[in-house]
Amino acid sequence: MYEIRFHGRGGQGAVMAAQTIAEAAVYEGLEAIAFPFFGAERRGAPIMAFARIDDKKISLRTQVYQPDMVVVMEESLIEIEPVADGLKPGGCAVVNSKLSPNQIDLGVKARCATVDATSIALEMLKAPIVNTAILGAMARADDFVSIKAVKEAIASRFGEHLGEEAGRINAQAAQMAYEKVSIGESLAQRPITKRKMWLPTWQEMPPGVALYHEKRGEIEVGPGSSWQTRTGTWRTKTPRYLRDKCVRCARCWFICPDAAIKREADDHIDINYDYCKGCGMCASICPAKAIEMTKGAKL
Amino acid sequence: MVEKAMTIKTMPQEDQLGSGHGACGGCGLSTAVNNVLRILGPDTVVYAPASCLLVFSAAYPISAFKVPFIYSAFENTGAVISGISAGLRKQGKQTYVVGIAGDGGTFDIGLQALAGAAERNDDVLYVCVDNEAYMNTGTQRSGSTPFGAWTTTTPVGSKTQGKRSFKKDMMCVVAGQDVAYAATLSIAHPNDFVKKVEKAKAMRGFRFLHIMTPCTSGWKTDPAVTYDLARLAVETGMWALYEIENGETTVTYRPEEMLPVENYLKLQGRFRHMSKEDIDTLQRWLCKRWDQRYHTDMVSKEEPKGDKELAMCGEETEGL
Ligand SMILES: Cc1ncc(C[n+]2csc(CCOP(=O)(O)OP(=O)(O)O)c2C)c(N)n1
Ligand code: SF4
Ligand code: SF4
Ligand code: SF4
Ligand SMILES: [Mg+2]
Repeated sequence: MYEIRFHGRGGQGAVMAAQTIAEAAVYEGLEAIAFPFFGAERRGAPIMAFARIDDKKISLRTQVYQPDMVVVMEESLIEIEPVADGLKPGGCAVVNSKLSPNQIDLGVKARCATVDATSIALEMLKAPIVNTAILGAMARADDFVSIKAVKEAIASRFGEHLGEEAGRINAQAAQMAYEKVSIGESLAQRPITKRKMWLPTWQEMPPGVALYHEKRGEIEVGPGSSWQTRTGTWRTKTPRYLRDKCVRCARCWFICPDAAIKREADDHIDINYDYCKGCGMCASICPAKAIEMTKGAKL
Repeated sequence: MVEKAMTIKTMPQEDQLGSGHGACGGCGLSTAVNNVLRILGPDTVVYAPASCLLVFSAAYPISAFKVPFIYSAFENTGAVISGISAGLRKQGKQTYVVGIAGDGGTFDIGLQALAGAAERNDDVLYVCVDNEAYMNTGTQRSGSTPFGAWTTTTPVGSKTQGKRSFKKDMMCVVAGQDVAYAATLSIAHPNDFVKKVEKAKAMRGFRFLHIMTPCTSGWKTDPAVTYDLARLAVETGMWALYEIENGETTVTYRPEEMLPVENYLKLQGRFRHMSKEDIDTLQRWLCKRWDQRYHTDMVSKEEPKGDKELAMCGEETEGL
């Protein structure tokens, strides 16, 4: 069985990519399944999707914990997610990046393919929708499906949703990525830190499943425990506060959906970048242009 | 001396819906809920039925609510908050009980339980966070979805072009039951928002707050325009700010002039397909509403305020 784990952000099309690679495998006469990680995360959040391919019927329905291939739809995810966690010996990684494979630090030495899928998508599709380019790179990185089948699956799946022409252009993006892939070996410098979880047995569940704010296992649970999730990692734009211009009206504090703005005693503000998702609402409500949005996850 | 109404400068600052929740960046619903709870304060119990709010704020065992939070089935908001309220009163507690449901959970599936609680005038606060579709399950139409909008169940194609019926007037339905207080709120009018929540908090009996909350995923918009959409909705008549108390309606903000609805539609992917004809149909419907609302029966007792003044507050912003 060949198992694939996709790491993307909500809204990037990782689920569609998983479905398309499964469809390609079916065209090759194989069995395949694809499914998303069912979580609460929304647009912008790091998410996962999975695919399994085999020459016999697949009955395993769990998440993929030990992938043969990990696909990273956006390079910045490597910083915030243990993407290479569980990668099988001999497995490979496909990363959307301008860098060459031997500059990619996955935390393990593994076969690694990089492709600048964003540029390809911008050129071919006029939008940074990278999932089809990534699919082309996958076909090159390992020989579990052919590029021909991948292109057919793209034409069918994307054609069905977006029209024949879109299907054709997306298939071309895959072909271009297939040709432009560079293959090498990744670096093993960063530690792979696994996410901490509390997985109680049913005997350990509190009555009525009610939780107080307390520590269970290695994490805090119950009221107010969400602070452990640093949603600042979702950011692709960053607000910059221009203190001198601020008229201390508190509107940005009111509008921030993530409670990432704090008011100082005199109502100057302080942005908490651990949680700011970079939505830009504070900048749009500010009457004094005292907040400006800058590109990138950091100032 | 009359006590000054609470403003965003004087409202409590302690967050009751903390950071780290999983809502989309630019989610108007999160803004609304956080500010309602800041004002209600720490002695509050929150109920939320199945909805975006439930899913992004409290995925067991993690919760973004700092106050006690409970949930049960989708259709039960009115019934569950009535029950919690009765239980707490029996224990002699004055804890605030608030149910926060989506438009699907209010206009459609929760309507019966809501109507029951309203008719009994149970001592609860019911907040409807209205993003105009069933967003948690990926954008299906609700009774709140506006005319013309694309959803997965009002698709766009050769046979049909988005939703064919108009948005239900939920305030009318609720106010028809002689509730203690009902008001509409917008996150683009912070001081009006704060005043209404504060007012509802001080009252007893059934109180209904209806908040329009733009949704970046379901409306197919840039997260940065969430605020602009909330503002434009009011300026185009897609949303109106008023309150109903003892059967009397008071307009709390009257736009100076009506902006064409196109200004609002063109920022949103869910309306992108709309034909000139459909836009005209929606505009005519809005004009009729506008006249009813601002010129005839809903006569404002308060002086209309300019947008600028309304959103500002405190000496620091004077003269801006
Ligand atoms: C009885 C029942 N039917 C359907 C569902 C599935 N469901 C969960 S949330 C949801 C949509 C909620 O829509 P809305 O109330 O508008 O809240 P939103 O997610 O838009 O904030 C649906 C249909 C359910 N949980 N229970
Ligand atoms: S961009 Fe502004 S409004 Fe959005 S999360 Fe960051 S601080 Fe809050
Ligand atoms: S909205 Fe602008 S002027 Fe007002 S407090 Fe925030 S940064 Fe300062
Ligand atoms: S789908 Fe809409 S309502 Fe739900 S979390 Fe995202 S922006 Fe908020
Ligand atoms: Mg909804």
